This record gives sequence, structure tokens and C-alpha cells, in this order.
Amino acid sequence: MAEERKIQVDEMGLVFGKTMIIFTVLGVIMMVIPAILYFLGIRPYIPLAEVSKYWTGSAAEFWRQVKGFEVHGYGWIFKNLGYMDTLSMLGVLLLMITPLISMLAAVFKAPSLTYRILLLVGAAEFIISLLFKTK
Amino acid sequence: MEWSIILFIFTLLIGIISPVSGVGGGVLFVPLSTIIFPFHVDFIRGAGLVMAVTSALSSVPYLTKIGLANIRIFALMAPVMIITSVVGGIIGLKVTSAFPGGKYYIEIMLGAIILLVFAVMMLSKRLEFPEVRDEEVDGWSRALGLRGEWFEPSLGRIVRFQVKNTPLSLVVFAIIGFVAGMFGLGAGWANVPVLNMLMGAPIKVATATSMLIITANAPAIGIYLTKGAILPSIVIPAVVGITIGARIGAKVAEIIKPVFVRWMVLAILFLAGFMNVIKGLQGLGVIPHIIPGA
Repeated sequence: MAEERKIQVDEMGLVFGKTMIIFTVLGVIMMVIPAILYFLGIRPYIPLAEVSKYWTGSAAEFWRQVKGFEVHGYGWIFKNLGYMDTLSMLGVLLLMITPLISMLAAVFKAPSLTYRILLLVGAAEFIISLLFKTK
Repeated sequence: MEWSIILFIFTLLIGIISPVSGVGGGVLFVPLSTIIFPFHVDFIRGAGLVMAVTSALSSVPYLTKIGLANIRIFALMAPVMIITSVVGGIIGLKVTSAFPGGKYYIEIMLGAIILLVFAVMMLSKRLEFPEVRDEEVDGWSRALGLRGEWFEPSLGRIVRFQVKNTPLSLVVFAIIGFVAGMFGLGAGWANVPVLNMLMGAPIKVATATSMLIITANAPAIGIYLTKGAILPSIVIPAVVGITIGARIGAKVAEIIKPVFVRWMVLAILFLAGFMNVIKGLQGLGVIPHIIPGA
């Protein structure tokens, strides 16, 4: 196993991995704790019984049935953070942007300008994709 | 509540298999869940994508540290896959909402794609330790230093590798990103053969780097989130199950025999593909109901 320690691993990869594990753990915690409270029946935006009644329909049909409207954008999450089920979606949001944060952290340890550019292009596309989705 | 418990156990098992096989949780979860669970395919695809990404996020740090997940290949492929996976996700949701019976067409297409992947993996010879000679290394790979090394316990030594066919692989990864986003699959099912057979990465490097590349699909989660297709009662048990399973699976991946991984994945893919095609055809009334509950 001593030989295992001699392996050359990119510093860029190590920073990427360390950043990723921190934000993944945070994201999972932010997602799971409110969800447990939700499962216990504390402050639901959509009660569990309603969810299981309508989850056989498409996402659009589901929202029309339970709330009388369709969901577009991230607004439904931020407007309802007082409810446990929507609060847990913040954790999903953090998990979604964790690769972006990891890429940006890795930029500082990139072995060359080419890799710095590649990581920044990837990060920029990531942000554009997210912004495009809020339209 | 009972569905949530079944879902947790189901995804725990998928989580263990996922890093071992390099097949993201989504490709196993989505097709099997459409058969087992009562949820609409929109919610299953949304949960599948969150699971695939979370599973990858959980195992990648360790796989990077031991040299199996290659950040250099990721840095090159990520910009291509991010864009195409989002486009695929948009089109996938439009199909189910705009066409009557769209859900069944999606299931049939999903099944057909999985069976295609099965055929490719079955007929092709996967290479545990492929040799990529210096003269085979393309200009891009050489210029970017697309190589690496890891300690292989089964050989008791450090294995070094380099890759080839980089430009062609970029095109293939663009297509994979589109299909993965469309079906909420993650992309490990296709990443592994491309990295292994086209680029010449050793099978363990291919499976680990595939997990790394799957994280580039994360923006597609936004598509499902903004349509309200991610529900805590489905996503939470699934993600908790796969997160715990993936931590176990990442350790198992280090010691397990590659040939076992291959046969396990092939069996699951065939079952999942076949069942989805049957389920879609049942839904359209083309064949009588032969799968109970589907």
C-alpha cells in the first residue's frame, strides 16, 4: 500500500473532489432535514395524502389538481420557504450547483491556461443553463 | 409512506451497484421505477436525474483521490455535455406534455435505447487494461496530457494509462448528453463504453471517470425543478438511499473484479430495456397487458 501513496494525482482533481464532498454533504443535509419534518406532517405545502393521490398524472396535471396552477421557474420554491417540502428543495438546488462550485474551485489549481479556460467555459455554460431554465 | 420505504430500499441497492458499474443511478432507477412504482414518468425522470447526480457527487471525491476518476477528461467533456443535456431535457418534457400518449412513446424510446446499449456492450469486447500506444495518442490528448495512474490492487502495482480518439469522443459525448437529459438518465450507460472502447481508458478508469462526467448533467435538474417535477416524497427516499449506497459502492468498486461488473450491468440493462418497451406498448394498446401493475 506504500506504493499507493506515490500515485500522482492532479491537484486540480483533489481540490475539485474536496469542494464537491463539502457541498454535497451540505446539500443532502439541507434537503433531508426539512423532508423528515415534512414526512412527520409539519408544515407541508402539499400534504402527503394529496401527493400520493395525484402523482400518477404528469407534473403539469399534478400541480393543476393540487394547487390549481402549473409551476414555472424557481419562484414556487423561494415564495414558499416556510413550508418543509419546498424548503427541502433548497438542498436540491445546492446539489445542482455543486459541480459548478467545484469547477470554479478547481480553476485555481489548473495545471495550465488551457485547463483554466476549459473549466471556466464549463462553469459559464453551467450558469447560462441555469439562467435559461428560470425563463 | 410505504412507497417511500420501498423506494429507499430499492435505491440503496442501486446506489451500491452504481459506482461499481459506472452506470449512473438514473439508468437503473428510471426504467425499473416506471415498472415498479405508481408515479408518473415526469416525477421518475426528475428523481432519476437528482439521484444520478447525487450518486456521482457522493462517490467522485474518493474516486478522484485514488486516481481512478480523471479530472482532465472531465474538464474537456463537461462543456459539451452540459449544453446538450439541457436541450435533451427540454425536448423530453415537451414530448410528454404536448402529445397524447407521449408518456408511452417516451417509455418505448427509453427501452429501445437501453436495449441498444445492451447490444453494444454485449457485442463489444471491454478492455480491462487496454494498451494505447504512443503513436495512437491523438494531438488533443497529447497536448492536454490526458493520462493518469492508479494503484491496482489485483495487480499489486501502479497502472498508467493514456487515451486516444479525443475529437470523435467529443462528438459522441454531445449525443450522449442529449439522450441523457431527455430521459433523465444520467449518462454512465454510454460514457463507460466510449471511455473504454473508443478512448482506450482502462475499465476502472472509464467507470470512475463516467461518474465524474455525470456531474456535468446537474443543470438538467433545473428543468424538472422549474416544472415542479421533483417531489420530496419521491426524491428524498431515493436520494438518501442512493447516497448511502454509493458510499458503500465506491469502496466495493476498488476491489471488485471487472468481469463481474460487466455481467451484472448487462443483466440489469436487458431487463430494464425489455420491460420498458413492453410497458410502453401496453400503454398504447398495441399488446395486451402482460406485466401486472404496469
